[in-house]
Amino acid sequence: MATDFWASSHYKRWIVDRATLRQARADDLLYVDDPEYLDFLAIFFANVISKLGKKLLLRQRVIATATVFFRRFYLKNSYCETDPFIVIAACCYVAAKAEESPAHIKNVVTEARSLFSSENYGIKHFPSDNSKLAEMEFYLVDDLECDLTIFHPYRTLMTLCRKEGTSDDDDAEAGELGVGIESGPRYWGNGDGQLELQEGALQMAWFIINDTYRSELCLLYPPHLIAIAAIYLTLVLHVPTRATIQAQSQAEPETPTLQPRRRSSRQASNASAPSNINQKKSNQDIIGFFAELNVSMPLIATIAQEIISLYALWDRYKEDGNVETAKNSFPAQTASPYTPGTGSKRTLSGTSRSGSLNSGSGGETPIEGGEDNEDNVVTPAILMALLMKMKENRAADVAHPASGRPVAVNKMLERTQLSG
Amino acid sequence: MNDPMRAYRARRDASRRTVVSKYQILGFISSGTYGRVYKAQSSDDGKIHAIKKFKPDKEGDVITYTGISQSAIREIALNREISHENVVALKEVILEEKSIYMVFEYAEHDFLQVIHHHSQVQRGQIPPAVLKSLIYQLLNGLVYLHSCHILHRDLKPANILITSVGVVKIADLGLARLIYQPLQALFVGDKVVVTIWYRAPELLMGAKHYNKAVDCWAVGCVMAELASLRPIFKGEEAKLDSKKNVPFQKDQLLRIFEVLGTPKESDWPGVVNMPEYHNMKRLDPFEDRLANWCRPTNGLPVRVDSEQGYSLLRGLFAYDPDQRLTAKDALQHKWFHEDPLPTWNAFETATNKQIPPHRRITQDEAPSMLPVQTNQTQAQAPVQTHAQAQAHISKSASSASFTSLSGGGYAGGQSGSGGHAPTKKKARVG
Repeated sequence: MATDFWASSHYKRWIVDRATLRQARADDLLYVDDPEYLDFLAIFFANVISKLGKKLLLRQRVIATATVFFRRFYLKNSYCETDPFIVIAACCYVAAKAEESPAHIKNVVTEARSLFSSENYGIKHFPSDNSKLAEMEFYLVDDLECDLTIFHPYRTLMTLCRKEGTSDDDDAEAGELGVGIESGPRYWGNGDGQLELQEGALQMAWFIINDTYRSELCLLYPPHLIAIAAIYLTLVLHVPTRATIQAQSQAEPETPTLQPRRRSSRQASNASAPSNINQKKSNQDIIGFFAELNVSMPLIATIAQEIISLYALWDRYKEDGNVETAKNSFPAQTASPYTPGTGSKRTLSGTSRSGSLNSGSGGETPIEGGEDNEDNVVTPAILMALLMKMKENRAADVAHPASGRPVAVNKMLERTQLSG
Repeated sequence: MNDPMRAYRARRDASRRTVVSKYQILGFISSGTYGRVYKAQSSDDGKIHAIKKFKPDKEGDVITYTGISQSAIREIALNREISHENVVALKEVILEEKSIYMVFEYAEHDFLQVIHHHSQVQRGQIPPAVLKSLIYQLLNGLVYLHSCHILHRDLKPANILITSVGVVKIADLGLARLIYQPLQALFVGDKVVVTIWYRAPELLMGAKHYNKAVDCWAVGCVMAELASLRPIFKGEEAKLDSKKNVPFQKDQLLRIFEVLGTPKESDWPGVVNMPEYHNMKRLDPFEDRLANWCRPTNGLPVRVDSEQGYSLLRGLFAYDPDQRLTAKDALQHKWFHEDPLPTWNAFETATNKQIPPHRRITQDEAPSMLPVQTNQTQAQAPVQTHAQAQAHISKSASSASFTSLSGGGYAGGQSGSGGHAPTKKKARVG
C-alpha cells in the first residue's frame, strides 16, 4: 500500500474533478459576493492549519496530511454550516495519529484555543474541554470514510531529486524523514534517473509543494504529478539553477549529452554509485530526465499554471509573516508575470465595501472601492468577518425557509447578470 | 451560536445507518485489551461477520469522547488500504454513539484453536499437509503485508485465522505499522511489541531499530508451535518497572538459547552492539540443538521430519535479522516444493475429525454490545468493568489476547485467485 498508489484509497476515492469541487462549494457560494473569496479562504485555512501544526511541533508531512483531511471534509460539508476551526483542530489531531506522531488531546485543545483566540481570529468560544474535540474527531473520521493514509508529493520529490554532491541513499533531506527509511519503487513510469539540484533549489521545490496545500490541488491531482510540477517550476524560478541551465544550453547546444543516469537499469543496480557525485551538474540532461518520467507534460504544465495562479491570488492576500513559502524567494522579475493584467482583475467590492468588515487588519488596510485600485488586499480579518456573515446568513435562511428568502439566490443571479 | 456544529451533527446522525439496523448480533466471541468481538449476521445479505467493538472511553460513570486510540486509528487506516486473500478483510467501519465498530469477514477457526484441538482432543500431531498449507498461506499473506511496507508486529496463533474452507487470514493489525518513511523511529511509538513468546531476539536484546525480520521470527515460532503443539520458547515475561523501563527479558532469552544455542558473534555480528549484550554475556552458554528439537532422540515424537522443513525453520530462526529468511524467501523455500504440497484449502486432506469445531460463541454477553436505549449509562457500566478485567487478564497471559477475531470463508476462498499480487502499475497518467 505504501508504495502502490494506484491501489490506494487516495487514488481510488479521493481524486476528484472540478465539477465535484464546485458542487462542494455550492452552498458557500450563495453567501459570498465573489467566488474568489472561497479561494482566499482556502489559503487562509491552510495557513491556520500550518500555524496550529507548528505550535504542536508537527512535521511538515503531518501538517500536509491535516490539510488534506480538511479539504476532504469540505468536499462533503460547507463552511457556512460548520465551524472550520474545530474541524482544523480535529484534522491536526487525527493527522498526528495517522502519521504515527501523536499529539496529546489536551495539548491540541490548549494550543488551538490560544491560537484561535489571538488577534487574527478573535475566537472566544473555542471549547476548552477535550470531549468536544474528541467528538469532532469522531465525526471527522466518519466523513473521511476512515481513509487516513495520504500520499504526498514530498516523497516523489525526494525520490526524483537529490542535493548536489550527495549519494542516492542520502535522502534524509530537510530533516523531514526519519530513521529506518525503506526505499520503495516508484509507482509510475520507468525512469530511475535522479535530478541533481542545488541545495537552494531543492529547498524551493519543497516549499512550492508546501504552498500547493493552499489550494485544492491535492484533491485534483495525484501527488507525484504535483511534485513534478514543483520541480519544473523550480528549474525556472530558482535563479542560480536557471542560470546554469541557460549557460549549459548556450555552451553546448549541439551535443545532447547522454548521461549514464539515463541508462536506468544499470543505474538502479548500483544505487549509490560514487561516480555520480563527481559528475558536473551542468551536464545533466534535464529534458531527458523529464521525458523518462513518462508522465503527461501538458498535464504537468497545467498543474504548474495552477500553482502560478495560486501565487497570483496569494499576492493579494496579506497575513502577518510567519508563513514559509517559496513565493518569497522568487526573483523579482519573475513575480510580475503572475500578476494578472489590471484589466482582468475583479475588484473585490462587495464585502470590503461594507466598511465594518475592514477593521482590525494588521498591516495594510484595504483601500475602499476605488475603480482603479486593483490591489484590494484580503486579510484574515476580512475573511473572519466574511465567515461570520456567511454563517449568520445561512442560519437565517435555514430558520426561514418557507419565506423563500430570495437574497441568496439573487446573489448568484447578480453574478450571472454581471458577467453576461 | 452556542454550538456551531449542532446542525452538522444532526445531519450526519440522521444519514447514518446504525449497527443494529444493519447487523443482527448472534453472540459474543472474545474480548481483549482493545475491546470485544461479536459474531453478527448482515441484515442485507445474510452473510456472517465478526464485529470488533473498541472499548468506549469512560470518565467516571459517564462514557465520553476522549479521542480514538492510536491502535484503532492504525488498524482502521491500514485495513482501509489493503486487500489480500490471506489477510482478513475489513468490510466497513461504523462510528456510532461514541463507539467504533469494525466489521470484518468472519473466519471459523484460528491457529490457536487448531493447536488446541490436536493437543487436547485429537491427542496427535497436525497432519503434515495441513501444517505446511497453513504456514504457506501465512507466509503468502505476510509477503503481501511486507510488500506494502507493513510490519504486523504481533503475529501469534491467536491472531492467525482460518476460514471454514481452510483459507488462512492474518488478523489484528492493531500493532501493525507502516514503515515507509516513518517520521519517528519505530521504537518511539511502542516500546514493547510482539507477545513475548514470539518476540525476536533483536527485540529482546533491546534493539531500537528493527524491521520485517521480527515478523519472520514469529512465523518460525508459529511453525514450531504447530509442529509440537506447544510454544517453542515459552518464557516468563519480566514486567516493566515502575518507571516503565523495559527490563532485560532473561527468561525468554534463555528459552531461546536452550534450543538455538547462545548467539555467536560469527553468526550475528551486530549482537555486540545490542543494549542488552552485557546482560546476555552473563547467562550460561548453550549449544545449538534445533536439529535435536526437530527429531528428538529421547523418545518424544518427531516434530519436523523433513530435512527441508528443518532448513526452513533454521532460516526463520537466524539470529542475525539481516540473515534471517525474508517472508518472500521463505515462501519460495524448497520445503513447499516437496510432498506433501501445500493446498489452498488447508484442510483439504484432513479428515472431519481433524478439523477443529466451530468457533464457540456465547449468548449471555451478546446484548451488551449495544447500550440499551432506555438506560444507556447503567446498561453499559457493567460491560466496562468486565472488559477492563478481561483486558487485565490478557495483558498478563500474553498469548490469550482477544484477537481471535474472524474472517470469512464463504467469500469464495478456495483458491488463490483473489490473491492480490502486489504489482507495480505502469504510468496511467496523462
